[in-house]
Amino acid sequence: MLRPSLKPLLATAASIAAISFAPAAHAGKTLDAVKARGQVVCGVNTSGPGFSNADSQGKWTGLDVDFCRAVAAAVLKDPEKVKYVPLNSQQRFASLQAGEIDVLSRNSTWTLTRDASLGVVFTGINYYDGQGFMVPTKLKVDNIKKLNGATMCVQAGTTSEKNVADYFAAQGMKYKSVVFDTAEAISSAFFAGRCQVYTTDMSDLAGARTKAPKPDEYVILPQVISKEPLGASVRRGDDEWFQIVRWTQFAMLEAEEHGLTQANVDAQKTSNKDPGVQRFLGVSEDTGKLLGLDAEWAYRIVKQVGNYGESFERNLGPKTPIGLPRGVNNLWTKGGLMYAPPIR
Amino acid sequence: MTTPIGDAAWRARERARHLRQWLVQGSLALVIVLVVVGLAQNVVANLEARQIKSGFGFLGDRAGFEIGELLFDYSASDNYLRAFAVGMANTLRVSLFGIVFASVLGVLVGLMRLSHHALVAWVGSAYVEVFRNTPLVIQLLAIYLLVTELLPDSSNALAIEGVALLSKQGLQVIVPAHGLAALAIALVAGTIAAIVATRIVKRWLQIGAGLIGVACALVVAAIAWGLVGAIGGWSRPEVDGFLISGGASLTPEFLALWLGLSLFTSAFIAELVRAGVLAVPIGQSHAALALGLTRRQAMASVLFPQALRLAIPPLASQYMNLIKNSSLAVVIGYPDLVSIGNTSINQNGQALEVIVIIMAVYLSLNLVVAVIMGAVNRRVTRAPR
Repeated sequence: MLRPSLKPLLATAASIAAISFAPAAHAGKTLDAVKARGQVVCGVNTSGPGFSNADSQGKWTGLDVDFCRAVAAAVLKDPEKVKYVPLNSQQRFASLQAGEIDVLSRNSTWTLTRDASLGVVFTGINYYDGQGFMVPTKLKVDNIKKLNGATMCVQAGTTSEKNVADYFAAQGMKYKSVVFDTAEAISSAFFAGRCQVYTTDMSDLAGARTKAPKPDEYVILPQVISKEPLGASVRRGDDEWFQIVRWTQFAMLEAEEHGLTQANVDAQKTSNKDPGVQRFLGVSEDTGKLLGLDAEWAYRIVKQVGNYGESFERNLGPKTPIGLPRGVNNLWTKGGLMYAPPIR
Repeated sequence: MTTPIGDAAWRARERARHLRQWLVQGSLALVIVLVVVGLAQNVVANLEARQIKSGFGFLGDRAGFEIGELLFDYSASDNYLRAFAVGMANTLRVSLFGIVFASVLGVLVGLMRLSHHALVAWVGSAYVEVFRNTPLVIQLLAIYLLVTELLPDSSNALAIEGVALLSKQGLQVIVPAHGLAALAIALVAGTIAAIVATRIVKRWLQIGAGLIGVACALVVAAIAWGLVGAIGGWSRPEVDGFLISGGASLTPEFLALWLGLSLFTSAFIAELVRAGVLAVPIGQSHAALALGLTRRQAMASVLFPQALRLAIPPLASQYMNLIKNSSLAVVIGYPDLVSIGNTSINQNGQALEVIVIIMAVYLSLNLVVAVIMGAVNRRVTRAPR
């Protein structure tokens, strides 16, 4: 639980040193570097239950982790060939900028500032989230409007910090913020009662609540104050790599739309005569060639990692301790927002 | 016309030596400039190649985040420059409080270790060993955890009605409604009292006049401060739902950081004091006792003043360390300069610029400490030996 506090700063400093001393960067070589290394270096959350979390054996699981695995399956034909670099919210973009990681898959919100000024580019959205509030049940609060004057625990360097300032200013309400640099520090301060409110993305709140000494004593308010489209990002200037990462995400969605799962994909590969499925699995056409990959890239993603729905159910769904409903993260055909352009 | 010194050969050698020195120093300066310029150019080229926006223009932009502790007005609609100023003020506040408390504690514990009472000396040693030999981060987290776990919620705060409130939201105390005016008046009154009292007392006392002067200053300042409150009205802490309004507040984060920094640094200061006193030649102590001074008198007027001379240069580094260590504030959520910097880096991604600002501020603060302590040192060493 104790995270050396200077780590983020050191990492930032290291990244800056890398920028200062590195020879001028050249674009378009990430794929070659990944192949030569035999590993995808993936930046993930230090502790985000459901998104990326290491168990006691050091095995990483989560929606964002599955995405890293999918990229490795597509590029290196093996989902295990991933090196996970846990990053906190302040380190993440600096680390990507400096070239220490190939992909940042760390429930990060896609915003204009980040997309346009950080030297990174978002590849898509793998979770539609919104900022919410968690309070102890004993306060008997059922609406954000009743939080005037409350003390809030927030994580440093998140969009949450700005959203809450905007929202409370617009409502003419006051609050006091206590800013910590890691999610663990916030959780312990909040559960110790230092803050009356914990605010961050709804999915994070659900994850944090599972770690409470008594989860029943905390309630997540139903209102949401912001749009938080979470997704992966890559460095700017390497369009080839950008396309691979972006279409990995689309392939996971497309697979779910076709009803292809880890369990049935082998059978479907031979039996399903739908031209769309045949093309997707690389039987009739080679879609991988255009991406710099082989014909079976999408097949391997489904076979080795699973489709988006499977990943969601396994990591965040109602059967997990997090227990989040699929909601807007369902496919567009089922009333959600998840929509992939055609793979052809 | 002045007559040249030395013979012609000597003058020629001297000229050559000067030229050589200029050449060596000039080329060294050139190398330094080239390295710095080269590095700067490389940074700019790399930032451009990586399409990262750079420059200090962002300081004028709207910051957009709130800060939990303010020494002056600030809101989310103010710019980054003001946010950094708030952070710097918070760093300064905790450092100043820390330096004062650490010095008092350090001298006390250092003298305890020198005591002839076995138990007192042992307690002093135990204190030093515990606080010197455990990481500061752990101490801070432990203190913070204790503070937040032990204190009651704001709804059933420990209260002296209308005067003070103690809860997980921190310590709120009554202050005069015109807070700044009260402080200024108290400061002026206190200073005058100190000067007058010291002058008067010096007529009767050889030693200890300074101490009595300080005590007078504190009492007069407190009375002046109270008078401003009594005349101009008080700002009392009140709980209204979640909101605690009125009064001056010390948050648990500030209290924990202040306490943590003070305890940690005081252990080192105690060792400096002890080393200083022990370094004074033993003959001084014997001579003082032979002259009929008591142990306490010998310590106060013979040993301690000489020890101070030895202790001041390393004391300056301890103060600087304390200032730098205050950046550990991030682990317990105190909004110091580094914490504000961290937030800014993420809001606008300009890590390089923000780190430069942070480094510049710490460098300046420490240079100020160096100058002040240098002056103190000169004053102390000037005293007759």
